[in-house]
Amino acid sequence: MTGEKQRSSIAPETAWDEVRGRFLATGDAAGALEARSALVDEAVLAAWRRILAPACPGGMALLAVGGYGRRDLFPYSDVDLLFLVETPPAGERKQALAEFLRVLWDEGLRLSHSVRTPKECCGLDDNNVELSISLIDQRLLAGDRALYETFRRRWPRFLHSRRQDLTDHLCRLARERHAKYHGTFQHLEPDVKETPGGLRDLHLLEWLERLHAGTEDAPRPAGELGPARSFLSAVRCFLHFRAGRDDNRLSFEAQEELARQSFVPAGGPAALMRRYYLHARAVHRVAERTIDAYEGRHSTLFRDFRRWRSRLSNNEFTVIRERIYFRSPAAIPHDPELVLRLFEFAARHGIEVSPDAERRIREHLPAIENYFSESRPHWVALARIFKLPHAPVALRGMHETGVLAALLPEWKNVECLVVRDFYHRYTVDEHTLAAVEALADLRRPQQGRRANFAGLLSESPEPELPALALLLHDLGKAAADGNHTRHSLEIADRALERIQLPLRKRSHVLFLIEHHLDLSAAVTSRDLDDQAVIRNLAQMAGTVERLKDLVLITYADVSAVNPSAMSPWRMERLWRLYLAVHQELTRELETDRIHSAGASGEQAAFLEGFPRRYLRVHSAEEVAAHLELARRAQQRGAAVRVERRNGVYEVTVAASDRPRLFASLAGALAGFGLNILEAEAFSNAAGLALDVFDVEDPNRNLELNPAEVERLEWTLERVATGRLRARDLLQARPSRRRRRGAGIEPRVTLDNSASETATLIEVVAEDRPGLLYQLARTLSEAGCNIEVVLVETRAGKAIDVIYVTREGRKLPGADGEALREALLEAAAGR
Amino acid sequence: MKKIEAIIQPFKLDEVKEALIGIGIDGMTVIEVRGHGRQKGHKEIYRGQEYTVDLLPKVKLELVVPDSRVDEVIQTLAGAARTGKIGDGKIFVSEIAEAIRIRNDDRGEAAL
Repeated sequence: MTGEKQRSSIAPETAWDEVRGRFLATGDAAGALEARSALVDEAVLAAWRRILAPACPGGMALLAVGGYGRRDLFPYSDVDLLFLVETPPAGERKQALAEFLRVLWDEGLRLSHSVRTPKECCGLDDNNVELSISLIDQRLLAGDRALYETFRRRWPRFLHSRRQDLTDHLCRLARERHAKYHGTFQHLEPDVKETPGGLRDLHLLEWLERLHAGTEDAPRPAGELGPARSFLSAVRCFLHFRAGRDDNRLSFEAQEELARQSFVPAGGPAALMRRYYLHARAVHRVAERTIDAYEGRHSTLFRDFRRWRSRLSNNEFTVIRERIYFRSPAAIPHDPELVLRLFEFAARHGIEVSPDAERRIREHLPAIENYFSESRPHWVALARIFKLPHAPVALRGMHETGVLAALLPEWKNVECLVVRDFYHRYTVDEHTLAAVEALADLRRPQQGRRANFAGLLSESPEPELPALALLLHDLGKAAADGNHTRHSLEIADRALERIQLPLRKRSHVLFLIEHHLDLSAAVTSRDLDDQAVIRNLAQMAGTVERLKDLVLITYADVSAVNPSAMSPWRMERLWRLYLAVHQELTRELETDRIHSAGASGEQAAFLEGFPRRYLRVHSAEEVAAHLELARRAQQRGAAVRVERRNGVYEVTVAASDRPRLFASLAGALAGFGLNILEAEAFSNAAGLALDVFDVEDPNRNLELNPAEVERLEWTLERVATGRLRARDLLQARPSRRRRRGAGIEPRVTLDNSASETATLIEVVAEDRPGLLYQLARTLSEAGCNIEVVLVETRAGKAIDVIYVTREGRKLPGADGEALREALLEAAAGR
Repeated sequence: MKKIEAIIQPFKLDEVKEALIGIGIDGMTVIEVRGHGRQKGHKEIYRGQEYTVDLLPKVKLELVVPDSRVDEVIQTLAGAARTGKIGDGKIFVSEIAEAIRIRNDDRGEAAL
């Protein structure tokens, strides 16, 4: 306890010491607040009798307002007084007023006062709405009772007529205050008055309750917040006594001191803060709901918007006043998935769940927990939610209702968990939700460097996987030994198995969790110009796809540490790191080949000369299937396999390499009306080409006509062996050009420095049917041999990486320019 | 008293900090900055689009030391920050007129 810097009142020191002693012994804040109000009353009344009463026998009344009016006076809070006057004081009366204030000030009271006539009190001054609000809590201390009665008669009429203005003002102030604290109650060193979920929110609720008392939509008294009020009041009281001034910040040091007090249950600062967050969460939630319910009620535009949104209602959910309700909540225990569909609905439309629906969910929580505790493919619903534009809205709702903890019991470990370090400003659960939000935010149009990261997200084939990785990446933080990554990994592995995430996706998510710190560590403490550093990171990432997701979760994770953690400086470094590793991985594609030197056997011979990437992206089963295909190709010149998985078709062709092979295959696929989403092509040392295409079937031609699959295989085999020309197949098709989204200006780069033996060509263009065929044909016509191809198509944009040689060498610079022009024309579709 | 400002490679920060603490310097200010000197920006090509990175991320250290320790600090700092490559950074030294500790009004070197 530091020394008294300022006396709290003119009461005898002993009386004040007694109040403090009693509080520290019992932690009873209500008693302390009342005692201080009484002490201040005594002092103010004494000064009134001595100075003002003789000078102003009539025409003036003294009112206590604000917290003092409520008898809710914290040990070092300001004392708010209002002088109600008939006419503005002048002369002797004015001098007496000044003398009165000076005496109280000298005796240690921090006063703020105003002088108003009853008429002024009952008018709304836009510059001083706070005065009207403080008057809600007024009480008469002394003076002209008749004058006070005049005010009392006018006041209810005024409140009634300006109720909505005052409400809107209060709500706006609260929103601004919440925004200042980033809308979260989970600050590691919160201000117990101002932070969301603090005492200010409790005042707000009381004011709204009083403003709307007696009206049809009076708020239900926030009685359930009683324990929160006592707790927060005790904390604030303690902070005041501790600092000897109006200090409301619960700093780490204060947390430790408070946790040692006898009136605080044992458990140390961590347990104390967990209690704080649980109370603040309850207050914050009620405050937000109440603000939503009362704000802007008289705006017709707002009402119309809400009415329009209510059309989103369907047979399971109703939307009323921008909140979602269950149509038949009784169905929850029989159909717990209904709850997930509710959150999916929230994620789709960005509408929050109604308090009523939240209550229903909590009522049935045991049944929901029971259902989710069994291993089922719950990942499907979770992935669907993550793919929707407002996923964070749903996730927050799931967190607040306990559904997230039901789905992932591991989540309970980090709820309100405090990490005591210098950088983190939020508890672990809040940090995690903020990270998922930072990622989701990249779906919205972004400016500057952020636009680059938004581009990466739009290219991610399964954006739900980095989101899932973020949700799980810190679950091991509760472990004491400081190696949270390892614990998170173990916990995530079990959780993902229970929600039955398919193996390939699971290993991707686990990879992201395992390496979620690697890039940010490199950004701060590695030389990004050092090739060895970049090579190591490239090796760790393995493929461009994994690198992109890793960059995304690094971006989101750092952004969620505190609001300024992702500085432009860091963003620049992270992006440069991405560029360098991306370039290295692209280079490796051609230069880093498999050499099984010495190993014998059929598989080793098959793999010899493939890019190392091949083994990173294909599972052992896939390699075995490809080997089988290669065997068949040896007998018949070519072999084809078409397989449907996850809604797309995977087309694999093995054939002895020959000029124009890739172009012909791409053309044949386009001839079947198939869109190429991804493609890779390379050949091994023995001259066997392996081309893998992921294609989508927009006309559902293959799906509806099973015979077409056979015809496709037959055609591709003949095209691969040169018995059928792709050009003829394409001519049979009506040329149709589709436009998706805004036009993308085609770009072509040629790079002779990436590899020692081949020229790297990168093409970025708007996707259209037959694009890859056109590009590949242009290359073939220029006499180029295609060595390696990697194609990705996302959101209408095709990104093609192609390594070519001519007569076994790189292209000379002069020829390169002509080829670039030709490719640009092909990409533009001219 | 002298003020020493050093622009260094970001990844050298920890090493430099430790070296300075090693010789008993425990007060410093660290700022994330962007800029360029002779190591001008360079061109990057990504997705066929060329753009210039003209301002490189660096870290700036500021510390004020007694005159008697200036040489030692500069040597330690330069030693720890050096990689021998372009872009290692620079150190600037300037005179400080006065230092005041806000808490108790200590003046001059006593306030450092």
